[in-house]
Amino acid sequence: MVIAVAAMSIAITATYVITGNLHDTMGERFIVEDVWFTTGKISIYIRNVGKVSIKIATVYIDHTPQSLKPLKLEENKNGWLNVTYSWSHNSVYHINIVTVRGTKVVDYYESPS
Amino acid sequence: MNLRLKQDRSGVSNIIVVVLSLVIVVAIIANIVLWGYGMNQLDWEKMKEEIIITNVERDTEINGTRFIFKNEGALTSHLVSLWIINSTNHQRYDISVFVNSAETTTYLRADIFLPDDQYTVKVVTERGNIAVWSR
Repeated sequence: MVIAVAAMSIAITATYVITGNLHDTMGERFIVEDVWFTTGKISIYIRNVGKVSIKIATVYIDHTPQSLKPLKLEENKNGWLNVTYSWSHNSVYHINIVTVRGTKVVDYYESPS
Repeated sequence: MNLRLKQDRSGVSNIIVVVLSLVIVVAIIANIVLWGYGMNQLDWEKMKEEIIITNVERDTEINGTRFIFKNEGALTSHLVSLWIINSTNHQRYDISVFVNSAETTTYLRADIFLPDDQYTVKVVTERGNIAVWSR
């Protein structure tokens, strides 16, 4: 009896933990509304269009991770993500935005002339 | 005799524990399957949505700007963000405009002034689609 309860408790807990992570990862959706190149900085405006809160963990510019202040967005919320970066005029940048759970939005953005 | 009864009861209890636990596990898995179905529905709705900006112009009557949005998709669109972008500024405005399927809506804003130089107008839907208009 004790062994059965222990075994099934472990099974239920494992199922709950595994599906809980899966649930949150499946519910993540976000979009980039705008990218603004200003002096020494690239500002990215992000909107959470998913069903769970998101936390932006890293931004890769041309495959190089950039340091940034993490941005947490609840459902249907939006905000600026500021990345310090010395960009050049008339250049195309590959920007990859990644959440803590691993969801990413990748695109090319051209800097102004 | 007593020992045999105790063993029988213990066997029944084990079966009850296992069955109840399996019911809980199935309920958890069913919940995740339904969640996945809901997210697929969300993606499908996003693909079906198609909003376009047909015109943006100064409105002299209200001394502001007139935007015309057309919904060419199969679902009602909820517009939530409006951007006016030029070479020096990226200005965002919160909006809440519903455009029914196959309908055109005029949206007037007295507090928005269009730049004199080249500019781009973007509108973002709640589902995450973006329409762009440039002049």
